[in-house]
Amino acid sequence: MPTKIMLPFSIFLLAIASFAQLAASGGLKPVASVPAPCESRGERISPAGNQVALWCTDRSVRLVNISSGTMQRTFGPQPRVYGGYYSPDGRWFAAGFEDGTVEVAPTSGTGETRRWKSDTRGIGTLEFLPDSSGIVVAGVDRPGQIWDLRGTPKQLATLHSDFAGLLACSFSPDGKLLVTADGDTVIRFYDTASWNMLYEYRGLTLESFAVAFTTDGNRVIVGGPDERITVLDPATGTELQKLAKDADVIELIRPFGSNGQAMINYFDGEARKPDHRSVWNINTAKSVPLTADHPTTGSGIVGGKLWVSSTNGKVLDIWAYE
Amino acid sequence: MYTTRREMLEKCIALGAVTLVTSASLSSVALAWDDAERKRQPTPFNELGPFYKRDAPHVSVLRAPGDPGMPLSVTGGVYSVSGEILPNAKLEIWQTDHFGHYDTAGYRYRTILQPDAKSNYGFESVLPGHYPGRVCQHVHYLVTSPGHRPLTTQLYFASDPVFDGDPDKNFTRDPTIVSRELVRPVILKGDPQRMIAVVSFDIVLEKA
Repeated sequence: MPTKIMLPFSIFLLAIASFAQLAASGGLKPVASVPAPCESRGERISPAGNQVALWCTDRSVRLVNISSGTMQRTFGPQPRVYGGYYSPDGRWFAAGFEDGTVEVAPTSGTGETRRWKSDTRGIGTLEFLPDSSGIVVAGVDRPGQIWDLRGTPKQLATLHSDFAGLLACSFSPDGKLLVTADGDTVIRFYDTASWNMLYEYRGLTLESFAVAFTTDGNRVIVGGPDERITVLDPATGTELQKLAKDADVIELIRPFGSNGQAMINYFDGEARKPDHRSVWNINTAKSVPLTADHPTTGSGIVGGKLWVSSTNGKVLDIWAYE
Repeated sequence: MYTTRREMLEKCIALGAVTLVTSASLSSVALAWDDAERKRQPTPFNELGPFYKRDAPHVSVLRAPGDPGMPLSVTGGVYSVSGEILPNAKLEIWQTDHFGHYDTAGYRYRTILQPDAKSNYGFESVLPGHYPGRVCQHVHYLVTSPGHRPLTTQLYFASDPVFDGDPDKNFTRDPTIVSRELVRPVILKGDPQRMIAVVSFDIVLEKA
């Protein structure tokens, strides 16, 4: 008798658990499907939700309108584009080139394009200030530089590094702090009013390729080849937690929403396996694979929501994570 | 018998092989010549990562008994561009194993070396393996010395099959290789049963 009672109850629990898992994992809702102007290796979706930048296999970067599919701007292929980023309002796109040049151009329409030589090495890392008045620029294995974009670009400061350079950075939601992940394995916090370094975290032995403030600004998430994700307190620069992550190396962390979620891009540092993406939660340290019809190859945060893209080579699909 | 630069110049002038058209003394000309020969070009930069790991052990033998792969012996000196020896330099060196795997959990095939009093360094390893993320076999270096700019660079091997025996022509097959100078000749030593690849790689640092 107990068996007869237990069996339906266990099935019921399983159903509840499955539903909870489904709800936790969310789903991907189609947003747009546009012809791909090139075979793309990866995409970055504009925060305005109206455009996507495609890294084409011909080494050009093309900005494509999501609703019409029309191409609005092309960077490269010569000189080769190393890095490309949208401003937080989506009005500007910054491209870093292999010859050390930076170009900040309007994403559509007419506007002043600014182009200047920032370094002798290729520019791999770029990040706009939250109000788009300036930009962080870093050449390969070079410390970050802060450039003022109001008028003719002017360098305001150079960030610190024992050696090598800036690999990733993130501004706090209020714009008062900048956190950097540097090749010398150090995480550094800066006051954006003075660009003075406030504190360093030297608790990592491996480089970190991704760093991001949580959406509430209360924590900083750091990831790379380390076996764990490190969570830091931005008020002190000290370690709060070490949390579990998937295997492979983290290359990008995109916090979104208000429940501690973040999309994490993983890659195999030796390139034996394809990249993969997960939605990870800082409160539970659990992650759910992010999959669409084809492997997702790009992402962006639009209105606080995560959008991802995937392509089959001919068509680019954009999805919203619900 | 060793002939000084001054003695050699004196002999050449006496024989008419060299004509000095300068107001400088023979000694200062000889010293300037010596200095010019001592000056060195800085070792070309090559990118750091990925997979640099801080706090590696101070060991000169990286290969363990029974490790697969062609044994490798690397030696060299550490100098400034003006030719001074830099015995206080620190060399951090890391590479993959024979199969092209980096050890990120531990410190296999990673070391920190300090040159000897004559500024020479050396380590015993295996030729690193190939892996899909990179074209060529390589060894990473991070070299620091007080008063000099830190250098990140990589050592490549002229014997790498990627070069098809012609590194002069084919070194750009790996887009990361920015200078032919970083591709070093490989001398195979020992009997056929116990071959070892011997490579020399000097490091030259720029002043800070």
